[in-house]
Amino acid sequence: MPANITRINELNSSFFKDFIEIGKKIFSEDMLHSVESCVQCGCCTGSCPSSRRTAFRTRKLFREMLLGFRDSVLEGDDLWLCTTCYTCYERCPRGVKTTDIIRVLRNMAVSQGHMAEAHRMTASYVLRTGHGVPVSEEVQKLREELGLSSLPPTTHSYPEALRAVQEILKLTGFDRIVGFDWKTMELRGRK
Amino acid sequence: MKEYASFLGCIIPNRYPGIEASSTRILGHFDVELVQINGASCCPAPGVFSSFHLDSWLAIAARNIALGEMTGKDIITMCNGCYGSLTEASFLLKGNKELKEKINGILSKVGCEFKGTSKIKHVIEVFSEDIGVKKIQEAMNTSLEGVRACTHYGCHFLKPAEMKKHGSSERPRLLDEIVEASGARSVDYKDKTMCCGFGGGVRARNLDVTLDFTREKLNNIISARGDCIVDQCASCHLEFDRGQVEIKKIFGQEFRVPVLYFTQLIGLGLGMGQHELGLDFHSIPAKPLLDKLNGGRR
Amino acid sequence: MTNIGIYICHCGTNIAGMIDVEELARKAAKLKDVSVVKDYRYLCSDPGQDLIKEDIRSMDLDRVVVAACSPRMHESTYRKVLSEAGINPFLLEIANIREQASWVHSEKEKTTEKAFDLVRIAVAKVKKDEPLESLPADVIQRVLVIGAGIAGIQTSLDIANIGYEVVLVEKEQSIGGRMSQLGKTFPTLDCSACILTPRMVEVSTNPKIRLHTYSEVEEISGFIGNFHAKIRKKSRGLNPDLCTGCGECTARCPTKVPGEYDEGMGKRKAIYTLFPQAVPNVPVIDRANCVYITKGKCGICKKVCPAGAIDYELGDEIVEEEVGAVVVASGFDPFDPTSKEELGYGRYKNVITGLQLERLLHTAGPTKGEVIRPSDGAVPKRIAFVQCVGSRDEHANKYCSRVCCMHAIKNALLIKEHHPDAEIFIYYIDIRAFGKGYEEFYKRTQEHGIKFMRGRVAEIFEENNGNVVVRADDTLLGMVMENEVDMAVLSVGMVPRSDSAKIQKLLGIATGSDGFFMEAHAKLRPVETLVDGVFLAGTAQGPKDIPDTVAQAKGAASSALGVISHKVLELSPLISEVDERLCRGCGDCKDICEYGAIELITLDSRNAARINPALCKGCGACTVACCNGSIKLRNFTDTATFAMLEAVLGGEA
Repeated sequence: MPANITRINELNSSFFKDFIEIGKKIFSEDMLHSVESCVQCGCCTGSCPSSRRTAFRTRKLFREMLLGFRDSVLEGDDLWLCTTCYTCYERCPRGVKTTDIIRVLRNMAVSQGHMAEAHRMTASYVLRTGHGVPVSEEVQKLREELGLSSLPPTTHSYPEALRAVQEILKLTGFDRIVGFDWKTMELRGRK
Repeated sequence: MKEYASFLGCIIPNRYPGIEASSTRILGHFDVELVQINGASCCPAPGVFSSFHLDSWLAIAARNIALGEMTGKDIITMCNGCYGSLTEASFLLKGNKELKEKINGILSKVGCEFKGTSKIKHVIEVFSEDIGVKKIQEAMNTSLEGVRACTHYGCHFLKPAEMKKHGSSERPRLLDEIVEASGARSVDYKDKTMCCGFGGGVRARNLDVTLDFTREKLNNIISARGDCIVDQCASCHLEFDRGQVEIKKIFGQEFRVPVLYFTQLIGLGLGMGQHELGLDFHSIPAKPLLDKLNGGRR
Repeated sequence: MTNIGIYICHCGTNIAGMIDVEELARKAAKLKDVSVVKDYRYLCSDPGQDLIKEDIRSMDLDRVVVAACSPRMHESTYRKVLSEAGINPFLLEIANIREQASWVHSEKEKTTEKAFDLVRIAVAKVKKDEPLESLPADVIQRVLVIGAGIAGIQTSLDIANIGYEVVLVEKEQSIGGRMSQLGKTFPTLDCSACILTPRMVEVSTNPKIRLHTYSEVEEISGFIGNFHAKIRKKSRGLNPDLCTGCGECTARCPTKVPGEYDEGMGKRKAIYTLFPQAVPNVPVIDRANCVYITKGKCGICKKVCPAGAIDYELGDEIVEEEVGAVVVASGFDPFDPTSKEELGYGRYKNVITGLQLERLLHTAGPTKGEVIRPSDGAVPKRIAFVQCVGSRDEHANKYCSRVCCMHAIKNALLIKEHHPDAEIFIYYIDIRAFGKGYEEFYKRTQEHGIKFMRGRVAEIFEENNGNVVVRADDTLLGMVMENEVDMAVLSVGMVPRSDSAKIQKLLGIATGSDGFFMEAHAKLRPVETLVDGVFLAGTAQGPKDIPDTVAQAKGAASSALGVISHKVLELSPLISEVDERLCRGCGDCKDICEYGAIELITLDSRNAARINPALCKGCGACTVACCNGSIKLRNFTDTATFAMLEAVLGGEA
C-alpha cells in the first residue's frame, strides 16, 4: 500500500467506546456522545485562542477521535494546548461539550502514561503539600507584613488535613498515576 | 451582617496575600464577614487536575466543599479556578446520585461528606448582589476619575454559561459595572473575553504558548490606552503580573501595565494605600496608575 | 344475537413476523358470539376487503373486528367495507396488533398472547357498539385567508378563480409580504416586484376577494364549515374611500423615522406607504411618531390633502365575517442576530443582515439599489457573507432555514455583477442548493470569482476604520484566518412571526418545537392542521423559498376548496351526548372541554349542558368530569369499558 493511504479499517475502532466508558464515570453519556454530531464547521477552532498560535485544532482532534486515530490523539502534544477557556464550548452550534471531551481524552492519555514531566511536578506539589502552588518563605514574610498568619489556614497549617488529602489521593490512585514515591516524597524516575 | 466561609485556594494565600488581606478588609467595610475554612487544600485547579484524573479532582474538590459546609455558611472564592472547580464539582455531584455515593465513600474514609448544602459563590457576586453597585458607588471617597481600566473576567467564572449562570459570556457586564461604580472608566479592547493563557495546564507545560496569549491581551490593552488591568481571578492575576516579567525575559517585550484585583481597585477608591492593598508586592508596580491618580487630585 | 367476524391481517411480515397469526385465529375462534375468524396477507387490499364483504353477506355477520394496523391508518377503509356490505359502519372495532404489538415487542409467543388480549377487548367492545349515523352540517362556502404575502395571495387567487369567495386579512397596510421587500429572486434573477405586483393587482381587482388590510383577526369561533371571525380594521388616520393615493401628504410630512420596511436602512415619514406599488395605495399615519397626534402641532397632511381624507380621530372598525375554512399564511420574521453577540450585530455599524442588504440592493429601496455601508456611506469592495446565523444552531434555532445559502449566493452575484472588482466571501458550513436550478446557479456564482470559505464564522471584531474582521477556521486548509472586510452580511434565518402565538391561540392549532405551525402529518397531510377546516400555507409552517411557498399555497387552496365546495359536511357521530333530564348544569364539562364544544343552556328554568356536535371531537373528557354520569360518549360507554376490562382481566369475552 502506498505510504499516504490510511486504511480506515485499520484504525482503532474501539477508541470511541473506550472514551465513553472512561468519560461516563463522571459525565453523562449524552454529553459525551455530543461529539458525534460534530459537522466539522470549525467554529471551535476559529474561536480558539490557542489555535491562533499553535498547531492545536479542536475540530481536527474530534475528527481523528471519531475515526479512531487513537495514537495521534493521545500521544500528541496538541491535546495539551487547550487552556480550557470554554469559548468553543459556548459557541459550538451543535452543542458539542468540547472542553469536557478534551478533559476525558487527556485522562485517557495520562492513564496510558502520556503525562508531561512538568505536569507530574505540579501534581507532586499537591501530593506533598496539598497545594498546587505551595507557599514560599518570601510569601510567608509578606503575609505577616499584611497582618495575616504566616501560614494560611489550609493544609499548610493542619498536618492532619494534609494527611486526609493524601489519603484521598491514595484511594483514587492518583499517586500511582503520577508515579509518586511516598518514601522519598518525590516523583519516581525523575529525569 | 452577612457571613461567608472563605475558600482561599493556592495562589491567593501563597502568592498574592494582598488580595486576601484587602478583600477581607473591604468586605468588612461593607458588613460582610469571612470565616476561615480550616484545612482546605488546592481546589484543585479545574483545567489542570481534572485533565490528569477526573476522579481525583472531583474527590478533592468535594472534600473542600464538605469542609466549607461544616461552617454552615455559603462558600466564597476569590479565584475563578477555585470557583470553577467547586461549582463544577458541586454541579456534577448534585446531578448524579451514583457519583455522589462513590465520592462520599472515599470522603468517609477521612471523616467528611459532601451534602450540597452550601452555595458556592465568587466574591464578585457578593459585591454585585449582597452589597450592590449603588452602595459601592456611595462608599467611594477617593476619585478614580480618568482611570482607564481594562477588565478581564477570566474564563471559569463565566463558562460554561449554562452552569455558571452569569448571563452572557461574550459580552459580560458584572465586573465592568463594579469598575464603573468605583469611579474608574471601563475601556473596551479587542478580544476582551479572551483567555489569559494560564489554564488547562498549558502554563506548566508550554510557558511560551501561555505567555503568547498574555502578550496578545497586553498588546490589545495598550492599543486601547488602558491604564491597568482589573481582574477577578487569582490565576489570571498571576498570569498578567508575573507574566509581564516572563514575557520580557522570553520575548524581550516590556510592558508595564499595572494589574489590580477588583477589590484592590475598590480599595483605592476607599482611600486605602498601596501597601495595605498589597499592590507594592506585585511584580509590576502600580506606580504609573497611582501617579495618574495623584496628578488628577491636584 | 350477535354474529361477529374477526379478520386478522398479516401485513406482510409486519404483523405475521412477530405474531403467530394462525394461533391467534385458533384462539379467537373460541370466543363467544364469534362466527368466523380469517387471516389474510393484506386485508386492506381489494381482495382482502372483498373477503370481509362476502362473509358479511353470506354469513349474515352483524359486527366485525379487524386485527391489523392502527385505526389511524385504515379505520375508514373498513367502515366503508361494512357500509357497502349493508351493515352500520360503526359496528366495527380495530384491534391494533401492529403498532401496539408486533412492532414494539421482540418475543413472538408473548406478543401473540398480547395480540389475543387486544382482539378479546375489541370483541367485548364491538358487542356493546350501537349503530350510529353521521351528522350533516351546512357549509359556509367562503374561505378566510390570514396573511397576504405571496402564500396568502396565491391561495386567495386560486380559490377566487374557482369561483368561491375569499376574505383576505393582512396585518400590514399593504399586501405583498416579505416577497415585496426582495429585489431580485434566485435562481432566475427575475425581479420580485415584476412577478409579484401583477398578482397583487389581481387580488385587488378580483370581485371574489374581500380584502382587509391594516387589519387583524381578533376572534374566531365555530367549526369546520361554520367559522365566525371578528376582524379589527385598524384606523389609518384617514378615510381610505376618499384617499386618491396622490402622495402629497407623505411628501410634505416633516417627520422622518427609521423605516421598518427598509429594515432600518432608510427613513420614512410619519404618514407613509410601504412601497410605490402598495395595494391598496393608501397611506397610514404612524400614531406613535405623528407630531400632530403626539403634540397637537403640525397638521400639515390634513392641510395639503386635496381629497380631505385625513381624519386623525378616526377609530378602529370591527367587521365580522362568516367562513367555512381558514388558511393561515402569516409568514415569518427574520432572526434577530443581536443575541449572537460574538458577531457584533447592533454594535458594529458595518455588520448588517441579509434582509438589510436586500433593501440596499432593491432599486426602490433607500439607496435606489446602490450597496453602501452604513458607517460612512462608502461602497464596500470586500464583503463577507456569514451563513447559518441563528440557524443550525443549538443555541438559537436547530433547523436549517433553507433559503439563506441561495439568498447569499444570489446577492453575492448581484454585487459582483455591479462591481466586478468587488471581493466577496461566503462563509458556510454546507452549501444547500437543493432546488430546481439552484446547483447550476451556485456554480455560475463560483465562476464569477466569489470565494466560498468552508468554515463557520467564529467571531467578528471591528477595526478603527469601521472595517470588520471576520475570524474563522478555513476547515479545508486547517488554517485559522482573519479577513478584514468593508462589510459583513449575516445570513439570518427564518423564525416564526412574533405574533404567531396569538394566531395559534385564536385557532387552537399546534406549533412544533421550532415554533412554526404544525401540519397534521409531515409527509401525507402537509397543509392540514389538526383542527378540521384550518390549513397552512407558506413560511408560517416552516422555512421555505418562494417556489415551495407557492406550491404549498396552491395545496392549501385545494384543501380549503375540498371543504367549502360542499354544501353539506358529514360530521363524525362518535361524540358525547348529554342526558338533559339528569344534567345538574354544574358546568364542569364546559370547563374541561378543550374544544369549546359545550355550552350551558336554560331548560325549564334550570341549567343544562348542551354539546355542539360539530365542535365535539369525542375525546371523552366531559364524561369523566361529569359528576352524575349524565354525559356519555357514544360507543365508549362505561358498560363497554367494563366489558373490555372484564375481557382482558380474564373474564369471558
